[in-house]
Amino acid sequence: MQKLTIKKGYRLRMTGVPTDTITDLPDPARVALLPEHIPHIKPRLRVAEGDPVSIGSILFEDKRDARWIFRSPGGGTVSRIRFGPRRVIQSIVIDRPESGEEPAETFTAVDAQALADMSREDLVAHLLEGGMWWVLRQLPFRDLPDPETPPPMILVGLDDREPFQPDPALYLDGRADDLAFGLEVLQKLAEKGEVVAFTGHDRHTVIDRFGQHLTHVVQGIYPSEDPATVLYHLKTGPEQNRAWYIAGQDLLALAAFLRQGRFPIHRVVAVGGSDAPLRQHFRARLGAPLAQLADTKQLNGDSRLIVGGVLRGFGAPPDGFMGLYETSLNILPDGGPAEFLALYDPGFKKPSYSRVFLSKINPAQLVYTCHVQGGERACISCMHCAGVCPVDLWPQMIHKAIHAGEVEEYLALGLLDCVECGLCSYVCPSKIELTRGFIEAKAAYAKELAAKSE
Amino acid sequence: MNPIRKFFETQRRHFEPDGRLARLEPFFEAMEKVFFGSADVTRQAPHPRDSLTVQRYMMMVIVMLLPCLFFGMYNVGLQAFKAAGLPLEFGPMFWLGFKTVMPLVIISYLFGFGWEIVFSTIRGHQISEGVFVTCMLFPLILPPTTPWWQAALGISFGVVIGKEVFGGTGRNFLNPALTGRAFLFFAYPAAMSGDAVWTVAAGNGQPAVDAVTAATPLVVAASAPADGTVVSALGSAGYDWSTLFFGFYPDSIGASSTFLCIIGAAVLILIGVASYRIILGDILGILAMGYLLNLLAGPDSMPYLSMNPFHHLLMGGAAFGIAYMTTDPVSAPNTNGARWLYGFLIGVLTVLIRVFNPAFFEGIMLAILFMNVFAPLLDHIVVRTRVRRRIPNV
Repeated sequence: MQKLTIKKGYRLRMTGVPTDTITDLPDPARVALLPEHIPHIKPRLRVAEGDPVSIGSILFEDKRDARWIFRSPGGGTVSRIRFGPRRVIQSIVIDRPESGEEPAETFTAVDAQALADMSREDLVAHLLEGGMWWVLRQLPFRDLPDPETPPPMILVGLDDREPFQPDPALYLDGRADDLAFGLEVLQKLAEKGEVVAFTGHDRHTVIDRFGQHLTHVVQGIYPSEDPATVLYHLKTGPEQNRAWYIAGQDLLALAAFLRQGRFPIHRVVAVGGSDAPLRQHFRARLGAPLAQLADTKQLNGDSRLIVGGVLRGFGAPPDGFMGLYETSLNILPDGGPAEFLALYDPGFKKPSYSRVFLSKINPAQLVYTCHVQGGERACISCMHCAGVCPVDLWPQMIHKAIHAGEVEEYLALGLLDCVECGLCSYVCPSKIELTRGFIEAKAAYAKELAAKSE
Repeated sequence: MNPIRKFFETQRRHFEPDGRLARLEPFFEAMEKVFFGSADVTRQAPHPRDSLTVQRYMMMVIVMLLPCLFFGMYNVGLQAFKAAGLPLEFGPMFWLGFKTVMPLVIISYLFGFGWEIVFSTIRGHQISEGVFVTCMLFPLILPPTTPWWQAALGISFGVVIGKEVFGGTGRNFLNPALTGRAFLFFAYPAAMSGDAVWTVAAGNGQPAVDAVTAATPLVVAASAPADGTVVSALGSAGYDWSTLFFGFYPDSIGASSTFLCIIGAAVLILIGVASYRIILGDILGILAMGYLLNLLAGPDSMPYLSMNPFHHLLMGGAAFGIAYMTTDPVSAPNTNGARWLYGFLIGVLTVLIRVFNPAFFEGIMLAILFMNVFAPLLDHIVVRTRVRRRIPNV
């Protein structure tokens, strides 16, 4: 087990950490899949409202590659398909039967011996057919990977230090077999490529109990545990840029799918944030309704529900659902009236990366709100963004290059190394949407590459 | 409801898109932000944002300039009273300084902020708070006898030509306050240089804008007799070490006190607003060049060459320029390596201009403006070097 030290990044000292308690939630009345929040895909529906579905029925496929199918996280009836602007599919809601067994599809189970005897092609075909390809994603665009080309490296990040995400010790508990099996699967997919599995250096329980499966421990603060950060610090050549990655819980789901022959529908979700009524972990259904994770009636209207971490997640209404990739729900104060004389407040409780506020010497965890804090201004080159960037980018220069349309320039500056961690946008005193701009520029470039290869 | 809140709420309708003063909305926003924080919430990730705003960032600089401003008022009065041979009483001295300096500050804000409003209104941008720093810096680097119309012209040139024509704060490549100062320096040399502009006249019913003659330390140093040393020449002019360090000598209004500049620079470094790399680079550059001149000095060369390099930091506006002008993040380079080099070259140029150019006694103004122009080039060199070290990812 090698130690990797990553110096840059930033730790939000946010109050509302979820406790280690983990509660099993009962099956909800309805679950949903949110195609809108699966990056890059172009869904083509395979069901209509009113259709009966089982757990593991095909709901939609990706127009770009019809083998990339997405299967249902619940059985029952498709009760609602919600469209947004420009016909984007926001959610596919499935009502579970009120009584009786929830119908489920079964797949061929694969044990360790069968896996060893399987060829890579058969394994890939099995995963594609099982609708499990979504668990794998490819850097730098975080899109689904091309099944035919073995990756140079597969990164397995067990950890996520974004506030707030599940503690890996909790979701790994009792699943050592799945972890080991999943890593075998990845090695098969990678062929000669390296499989790198890592966790944070202070996750002692995980290191003690699952250390034999790990290749690296990462010392650092958010986003040191992100696969893109780790890849940046590990890579030795440009051929490794297109590495694949998989999140810890997704790896367990992959292993469970193969070993049991059933579409996996459970995952551990952390609920945190200063406004969350109950800050703890839950074992919930995939695509569970948010109302099940937090008593939304207890929230007054001034809270924001964020599916995923506070830096990368998406805001959702109280009747929303968990996303396919998201493993946490964070609830923060949404805003409130403008503070009187805010400019002259010494800021003992104002969270900031800079040293301008007295909060720098306040050891307490602070309440973060969703205020923008100020108006948008031109960049003043304070370089806070470069100070936090975990992959040594100069975000403000890339931002200017994107504005000027200098594609070559921003690629040379390393845009594709961007982790999309959100820290540059967070620290910017001019309130420039840096990360959003980078994600959009990357997506546009990915589209261009795809068009070129056709 | 808070009466101020109420006032803004009742006036807001005039500035909304269909209101009578809709075009002045940036002005309304700027005024509102003086009293209130923002109520806007984020629309996308990251959901929380840092409490730091450009407004706060710039305000910290202004706060650290206030001691220089008040000291400047006192010192203007002190020098005038000394020259007039009046008893040195604090009250009347400060009042004279206040009477002299305050109009310049007000003019600077009136015109600087006025231009910013004009340009933001036309562009439909918000007012950027950088202009408040410019308007505070500008009067502090003027001679106290500057005519009001020249101050108005200078700040207008600095804000409009130094900044607004390029797109406003953040897009300018020259320090606007220095641009305005340099404009006056070259356009009205008689009012900006020589021995007669640094001290206002006091007493005897004369108008305060009339000046008396007193050589500044930089002039004394440059014209030290060949058979003496600079330090003895300064000493006989009454500028001993502590007078220079604390700034009790005729000079620009607020730029004379090295002591206050050290405090200001230390606080700005501590709170992370000023780059310590630039400041240390400046100081190293001045000391290195000063020391190099010491080595080159022969028995027949002018005494300025063999002056202890630390004196360059004590005299004139060097300390002020280092603390408040070179650290302007917009006109300085962005990368850390370039910041060291930028500072160092400013220091070197300052000493060279001071020592070898008899027309410009104060070198730091031109040194900073000159290096402002080269800052993008320095950045470019550092960026290319670093990009070459990255593993390409395309």
